[in-house]
Amino acid sequence: MSDDQSSTVGPVVIEADSIVKRFGGAVALDGVSVSVRAGEIYALVGENGAGKSTLMRILAGILAPTEGTVLVDGRPLEGGTRAALDAGIALVHQELSLVPEMTVAENIMLGAFPTRGGAISRKEMQRYAGAALEEIGVAIDLDEPVSRLSVSLRQFIEIARAVARKPRVLILDEPTATLTPAETDYLLEMLQRLARGGLAIVYISHRLPEIFAICERVTVLRDGRHIDTADIADTTPDVLVDKMVGRELKQDLGVVRESNPGDVVLSARGITAPKVRGIDLDVRAGEIVGLGGLVGAGRSELVRAMLGVDPRTGGDVTVVVDGQVRRVGSYTSAVRHGIAFVPEERRQDGLALSMSVSDNIALPNRRSISRAGVTSPARQQAFASTLADTVGLRPPNVKRDSGDYSGGNQQKVVIAKWLGLRPRVIVLDEPTRGVDVGAKAEIHRLVRELADEGTAVLVISSDLPELLDLSDVIHVVRDGQIAGTLARDEADERSVMSLAAGESMVTSS
Amino acid sequence: MNQLAESPTVAAPTAAEPRADGPSIAAKALLWAAERGIVVFTVVLILASVLFVDGFASAVNVADVFHRAAPIGIVAVGMTFVVISGNYLDLSVVAQVATGAVILIGVSNSHSIPIAILVALAVSVVYGLVNGVAVGYFKANAVIVTLSTTYIGLGLLRWLSGGSIFFGPRDGTIESFGDIKLGAVPISAIVLVVVALVLGFLLSRTNFGFVVRAFGSNKEATRLSGVNTPVVVLGAFLITSFAATIAGFVLAAYSNTAVSSMSDGYDFGALAAIIIGGTSVFGGKGSVLRTVLGVVFVSVLTNVLVLSGVGFGWQQVAIGSLIVLAVSVDALARKVSKK
Repeated sequence: MSDDQSSTVGPVVIEADSIVKRFGGAVALDGVSVSVRAGEIYALVGENGAGKSTLMRILAGILAPTEGTVLVDGRPLEGGTRAALDAGIALVHQELSLVPEMTVAENIMLGAFPTRGGAISRKEMQRYAGAALEEIGVAIDLDEPVSRLSVSLRQFIEIARAVARKPRVLILDEPTATLTPAETDYLLEMLQRLARGGLAIVYISHRLPEIFAICERVTVLRDGRHIDTADIADTTPDVLVDKMVGRELKQDLGVVRESNPGDVVLSARGITAPKVRGIDLDVRAGEIVGLGGLVGAGRSELVRAMLGVDPRTGGDVTVVVDGQVRRVGSYTSAVRHGIAFVPEERRQDGLALSMSVSDNIALPNRRSISRAGVTSPARQQAFASTLADTVGLRPPNVKRDSGDYSGGNQQKVVIAKWLGLRPRVIVLDEPTRGVDVGAKAEIHRLVRELADEGTAVLVISSDLPELLDLSDVIHVVRDGQIAGTLARDEADERSVMSLAAGESMVTSS
Repeated sequence: MNQLAESPTVAAPTAAEPRADGPSIAAKALLWAAERGIVVFTVVLILASVLFVDGFASAVNVADVFHRAAPIGIVAVGMTFVVISGNYLDLSVVAQVATGAVILIGVSNSHSIPIAILVALAVSVVYGLVNGVAVGYFKANAVIVTLSTTYIGLGLLRWLSGGSIFFGPRDGTIESFGDIKLGAVPISAIVLVVVALVLGFLLSRTNFGFVVRAFGSNKEATRLSGVNTPVVVLGAFLITSFAATIAGFVLAAYSNTAVSSMSDGYDFGALAAIIIGGTSVFGGKGSVLRTVLGVVFVSVLTNVLVLSGVGFGWQQVAIGSLIVLAVSVDALARKVSKK
């Protein structure tokens, strides 16, 4: 750790000492130490899942560390969020946590309403909230309901809410994700001003240019481990990206698929939706198209809007069915035209966990395994068993509830239920998240086989080696737009991460 | 299951084993009560009633139990579809039963019985459409929608009937239909059996019934499987309306009269049968057979309480307590099985 003393910063305010955090068997943080000084802006960087958010939640008292301690002014912090708030630690969440029906002033003071004789004093509330907004230099009507404000103004209200508590440590998680460039500049200036006033700021962002603009020091986390802490002046974006990625860059598992793309099957033009800002996309028969990018970049929103799972505000999607171009309006029309969708939240959206594997597989295939609308348990059983076999369900007992199976097997069931329809297009959102290594390899094999049989495949994955391994071509999404497109031979972890994080780089075309 | 024998020998550790420590005895008892309790409880109750309650096994009393159970049972069997689809209940059955009865008798007097039946069925379709579109398409809360359509329906009925009692046609066709018996079994119970068989088949052995159950298990997974889910909800409400109207016919035929207040309490009575039968209010789990068992249980219990001289107030207390117990068992069993 660097001990270089820059002139503007004061003593250490908050310190995490050898923090270990385990969730069940999974290690989220493995002996991470950081210390932040008054007046300093301190950056935390790392890939999705590196442990940044976990560390932040531990600093704010939301999670208790499995081992190690958080020290504030050298004293251990114990007692959860309440103690953290009392110690002056304020957290600005990534997900906006405002109450839309309440006014700006009420939201800023939420949880700390000033009272007089037990009743909330509106006058005091207005005064405190007004002071907080003034401190961050944002002018908004205090009586405006938050529901009428733009997403970026809401982000500033979140910050005002933190500032109103007169914190000594301010933690921000991706605060610029929803902001325009001008708003971002404003926010960065504001943070620098707050730091000059002696506030210690922990700044979590994927956006390296912002970090190089305002931060003094940076810590890189990877797979829950502390990789490096450096003064910003002594490092470069290239070095940071290498440290974030870290892995030996060989993920070639010996399976280089001979891809032989045919005609365009799925075509999207000008898709707009919340978090999606005008995207064109084509997927060819027999081709695996990967969507890379950071969590929150708008990839799930893009495919959900494309398929009609969620409403889209603009754009057109077509699919070629037996030589005919068909429009994809509603999601039911998408399924009717042979588009299969494997959603991100498999337990919530992919399966009915209290129903048997057989029932789950039968659900989209009910028309082909029934006669005149009357079901046949024997036929359904045989149908499901065949597909369970194809995907390698273990144990292959289709009568068991799907909720009894492991994550990997559940995902196989989700894929199996679509295989029965012989889909023209299959869209998979994070197909192997939380899946063990063996099942992961089998799911990859299934996806490749589908493509080999001529299915057009679109895959979202935050798992970089997987994305690189599977995709014939990768579109990297950033801020709801395609930041760049990489062919198989020009894609590697660095090039994808650079595009995803917005580090200026030559985009191949 | 010969697939198990054929499964690969080595690579099987990916399947989730049942939780290592296994459920406790209390949890097992809970799951048993939620799964199979109703069958045992019903059999025990009937046996005990036959053995220990004077007058229970008499032909007159059995016919009376059937008569009281039938209309509410028909309503409950239909409403099972709404409950299994995960949409709580259809309170408006109260208004629908009375409307069916009043139309059958009133229109039979002014026109003819076939026309009366057609008009009543058409009105039931309107009920099903209003409830089903509001809940299925607009995603309105089922309890509030059907509470409101009850209000509308009963209001219209009072306006139409002027609150008066209608008596069946003078030629006695409706009355004589209501008097038909097969041994000790009245026609109303036979109608219940027929409706239960038809709707039981629809729920357990058709694509429509399958998607109703799937939707109740997981709405989003069912939608993402390409099912047009609003139509499923609409269908469930239409079936409930149909059954409620049939129940209105049975009730009118039995008494040869119709009045707007004749089905008071049917909403709660049907719900009691469904819940005590073990159909989950969370949706997905349940069956028509369970509902029939629930109807038998509640009817026999009520009858036994009456025969034992227990007042109406305490009957209400007993049934209400049973429902609280049944929904709690359902909720706890769900929590224990974590699905």
